[in-house]
Amino acid sequence: MQNARGRVRFLLGSQPTEVELADPNLTLLDYLRTHARLTGTKEGCAEGDCGACTVLIGEVHDQGLRYLPTNACIVLLGMVDNKQVLTVEHLGREKIHPVQQAMADQHGSQCGFCTPGFVMSLAGLQWAASCKNESTPVDRAQIDEYLAGNLCRCTGYGPIVSAAREACSAPLPESWQAHTAVAETTLRAWQNQGQPLCCTSDRGFFAAPRSRADLHTIMSDHPGATLLAGATDIGLWITKWGQRLSAVIYLGQIPELQRLVQNDEKLEIGAGVSLQDASTTLSEISPDLNRLLRRFGSRQVRNQGTVGGNIANGSPIGDLPPVLIALGARLRIASTGGVREIPLDTFFVDYGQQDLAPGEFVESVVIPLDRDLRFRCWKIAKRFDQDISAVLGAFAAKLEGGIVREVRICFGGMAATPKRARQCEAALTGQPLDHETLARARQALATDFDPITDMRASAHYRQRAAGNLLEKYFLAMTTTDLPDLYDEKTWPGLSNQSFANG
Amino acid sequence: MAIVTKRVSDEREAEEQNFNWVGTRAVRPDGVDKVTGRAKFGADLHLPNMLVGKMLRSPHAHARILSIDISSAEKLPGVKAIVTREDFSDLASEFVPAGEMMVNYRDITRNVMAREKVLYEGHALAAVAAVNAIVAREALALIQVDYEVLPHVLDVVEAMKPEAVLIQEDLLTDGADPPADKPSNIAKRVEFGHGDIETGFAKADVIVEREFNTRPVHQGYIEPHACVASVSEDGQAELWCSTQGHYVVRGHCARILGMDVAKLRVTASEIGGGFGGKTVVYLEPVALALSRKACQPVKMVMTREEVFKASGPASGANMRVKIGATRDGRITAGEAILHYQAGAFQGSPVPPGAQCAFAPYDLEHVRAVGFDVLVNRPKVAAYRAPGAPISEYAVESVVDEVAKKLNIDPIEFRLKNASREGTKASHGPKFGPIGLVETLEAAQAHDHYQSPLQPGQGRGVASGYWFNIGGQSSVTLNTSEDGTVALVVGTPDIGGSRASLGMMVAEELGVELDKVRPMIGDTSSLGYNFLTGGSRTTFATGKVAVDAARDLVSQLRERAAKIWDVPVGDILWHNGEALQKNGRGGPTETLSFRDLAESMGKTGGPLVGQASENVQGAAPSFGTHVVDVDVDRETGRVEILRYTVVQDAGKAIHPSYVEGQYQGGAVQGIGWALNEEYIYDSEGRLENAGFLDYRMPVCSDVPMIDTVIVEVPNPAHPYGVKGVGETPIVPPLAAISNAVANALGIRFSELPMSPPRVLAAIAAASSSK
Repeated sequence: MQNARGRVRFLLGSQPTEVELADPNLTLLDYLRTHARLTGTKEGCAEGDCGACTVLIGEVHDQGLRYLPTNACIVLLGMVDNKQVLTVEHLGREKIHPVQQAMADQHGSQCGFCTPGFVMSLAGLQWAASCKNESTPVDRAQIDEYLAGNLCRCTGYGPIVSAAREACSAPLPESWQAHTAVAETTLRAWQNQGQPLCCTSDRGFFAAPRSRADLHTIMSDHPGATLLAGATDIGLWITKWGQRLSAVIYLGQIPELQRLVQNDEKLEIGAGVSLQDASTTLSEISPDLNRLLRRFGSRQVRNQGTVGGNIANGSPIGDLPPVLIALGARLRIASTGGVREIPLDTFFVDYGQQDLAPGEFVESVVIPLDRDLRFRCWKIAKRFDQDISAVLGAFAAKLEGGIVREVRICFGGMAATPKRARQCEAALTGQPLDHETLARARQALATDFDPITDMRASAHYRQRAAGNLLEKYFLAMTTTDLPDLYDEKTWPGLSNQSFANG
Repeated sequence: MAIVTKRVSDEREAEEQNFNWVGTRAVRPDGVDKVTGRAKFGADLHLPNMLVGKMLRSPHAHARILSIDISSAEKLPGVKAIVTREDFSDLASEFVPAGEMMVNYRDITRNVMAREKVLYEGHALAAVAAVNAIVAREALALIQVDYEVLPHVLDVVEAMKPEAVLIQEDLLTDGADPPADKPSNIAKRVEFGHGDIETGFAKADVIVEREFNTRPVHQGYIEPHACVASVSEDGQAELWCSTQGHYVVRGHCARILGMDVAKLRVTASEIGGGFGGKTVVYLEPVALALSRKACQPVKMVMTREEVFKASGPASGANMRVKIGATRDGRITAGEAILHYQAGAFQGSPVPPGAQCAFAPYDLEHVRAVGFDVLVNRPKVAAYRAPGAPISEYAVESVVDEVAKKLNIDPIEFRLKNASREGTKASHGPKFGPIGLVETLEAAQAHDHYQSPLQPGQGRGVASGYWFNIGGQSSVTLNTSEDGTVALVVGTPDIGGSRASLGMMVAEELGVELDKVRPMIGDTSSLGYNFLTGGSRTTFATGKVAVDAARDLVSQLRERAAKIWDVPVGDILWHNGEALQKNGRGGPTETLSFRDLAESMGKTGGPLVGQASENVQGAAPSFGTHVVDVDVDRETGRVEILRYTVVQDAGKAIHPSYVEGQYQGGAVQGIGWALNEEYIYDSEGRLENAGFLDYRMPVCSDVPMIDTVIVEVPNPAHPYGVKGVGETPIVPPLAAISNAVANALGIRFSELPMSPPRVLAAIAAASSSK
């Protein structure tokens, strides 16, 4: 790449910081704790599950800087290039931050180990709430959503919820706006220089191309390189499985991959769009998608993880692919030779095997917007928040004069890949919505899948739950006042319709 | 949140009106440090020239170690020391207390570093200290271990069978009658009770007998085990670690490494949760051994996976409980047979489990028998009221079923049979002033218990008991020249004890709370302190702190007497000031603490309050929980709608931290009841060694936990304190199971009641109809 910079550059608090990246695998958390000796940020799991390492990442956005709670343990340092990193040490500037004050006043700490992570998540919530123009106080659902990625074992959460309410009714600290303005000026100046990052050392390289052209170049120079998007999975390769990656290409700085384009007929989501950013638009397709995305990982994971990553990763338990397949999505796959577009369900060839040749990358997913499509999806997991699906069922069909047409049913957690229930679809197609059809469809569904028994659920549970979901979909097509899984009043889904996304 | 006080006398009530600090909700002294990230935990210390230590762990559940070859690893550049079983001497079998549990030195040496065999997946068998973590991990990969893989046993019932593979080939059951003549995996048999249960059952109109199974659960502290060790060339050593008891760590490490105890100074870092799990040693002796070999400081920190695989979970268990009662609701007899998993070494909490099983009930005929059983799992460690949640889950489930059969309200039924002051407990002692009846009455009167349920919902009730302990504590109050005080204690602060201890001292001295700075001293700064465990700190260290404050006050009175030249008997200490009984002062009317501190050099030297005691008179704490649940019939998910904890605190020094214990314990219990479990594959390897698949409750899983503090004072403590930390985890398992039974009409006898298990039970019930 032309004019590449060799050192990672970011604002650590308000301090411009440059780091020689001796190891492309260096995580933000290791950097903070071991190199910068900012030990306020804790390591509780190194897998993005406990949130003790939550920091705020400040990044330039349409209206200014935005602050996203993120798990530092699975962010690679190179990913924060041209961004701002705020840790618990940076929050209290002249005096301690309202969130810190509220956590102390409400006795939100017992042992205090998880406290910095909670403080940072709540600082993210308080910032988001302050961006909102309305003056309604944050409610329990919003607090739950922002805290879904933070584990506390001491308090039972009550005092932390009280602290969240207290802090979010307070204004941002006076110094916040001033500091943010300075930081934004710096970050915009850096971005405008347009230099891509490429750190090379004897342990390998970390590159962050800033255009598709640069990406093609570096991919052809390093065909074996790992493509990194949100690192919510690749981060674990390093921290949990002990892998050392020697060539990493980060996709998060390429504007072409960050686009979200919508017209009357289709929605195109760039592969690099974060799950959180995609959620607002996806939620417009169906309230079910809103609820699903609310339960997708945690706020931290959604801020990091990308739509493209959730697809290209090929996991049988990724939550987006079954939904997108049911919606009839197509995948745009790019290489130096151009772009090819395939139906998403053909992308998943087998366990760990996708239709992606060397030199190719997922560019975007295109979702047709068909108002006549009756779409529903449900996720079944042991826990409401931050849990891997035991079964995820996504259903889409059209009804013509009471007859089922154009049906797509796809499940996650039922096979080695996200997989359509073809027998079941066939049993439904052209049939009326009656008991006989349902019985035949349920029977057919049982032949579609041979799920495994693992620690998350037994094969029997999966089969039964899948059948129940089919029945639920049937009911949803025929009745209007259907009680839902997880009371919709209690679980209104993502709270970000009006705030906190930008 | 409410406090219901049963006062001992009017005099006490009058006294309480005058408390300045006790009973208030002051912000804790460590509050700001914790919200700003300043608080230093186990992994936060960084010393110059420090190495990183990593452990090699067994991939097998049970295998003989044929050889360990470290020669290639030693040659790797950057490797500074490697230790294996060769570096630790074998110790004789000897039991010492660790919290409410006992540990055996012969076993500890084998648990920190495997000798003849590896006994569970994750068992440590070598450790490397290297210049950084990457080199240390590379070195581990170069260590060659030859194993002879042996059959393994995980299930407690299987392990008790005569044909089961022996985990320790020479283990004879202690307490067996007749004495054991053949080795087995049953380490111990204990029995408690009185009367004759057969006579009792013969009088019963209704008898319910059920079998229960529970799975191991982990304490789940968010901070992984961590320490830094530094041993100098002359054998003097420093250890910094996250522990509930640094004196206990010092004793264990000195014994294991053959050191003089005084040569090892241990400093307790801030502790990121323990719940009983940080009362034993894992990394500490190994880090010291590596540092001794390398002559450099060594830091060791467990990964989350290591925490799950190699640090103590609570026992899983198989139990049988039988209870009989008359038609009018009087229990005639109770029997519990408890089989607890110990893990790979003996010492499960089955003795306290058996002691606590029937404690809430005044029974004429009662028997609880416990078996401590070895299995190829990590050695269990204490977990909040160790043993009690398991046995009381079984008993409280059967009690509920008996009450239902008799058509008696579950709280009424408990009140008819409740232990009171003077009741002879099943494990021997006669109860003093206990508050069980008061918690039951408060629960019954609570708005929660009176509120209606929606169709499909269920309400459950259960009571719980923990005995609590006292023990050795040593406290020093160092007076500064400006009249502020350093309060130095030796029991790590795990849930706000610096606040409660500081408040009691400020109360006694009559000074502002912020003039007392509580801190945890290292092992060389104070006399011996037993660990923070057994809910003993606010009670035992609290009593010693009060005595130290009183010691200081008596010195202050002496100094005032000296200044005024009057007999000390004429001096009163009131609101932080000395004054004369006759109301007349000397040159000044009063002498403040600050006046006396400023002049201490001239009046006799440093003012230091001290007390060191082995505190007796710990009083048990009883609690009663009420919970409402809803069950999603399509997914099997149980939702906690409302939860109320009612518990006797004796006296709440800091009500918010008492409530914090109630709420935190209840939520751990909710996790235990509904989702937490260890899941092993057929090779005996743990499948869910991470927070994603070991499911602890998150914020959205729980409602705000309501609390009622009942206060029936403990006469053995100056303010009436009873320990409160452990009892809150005892009732939830049964309370939730009873609520689910009422919601579904299906009674579960297995935990956790996870969605797949609940859905399967719903399916089985509907197909059998």
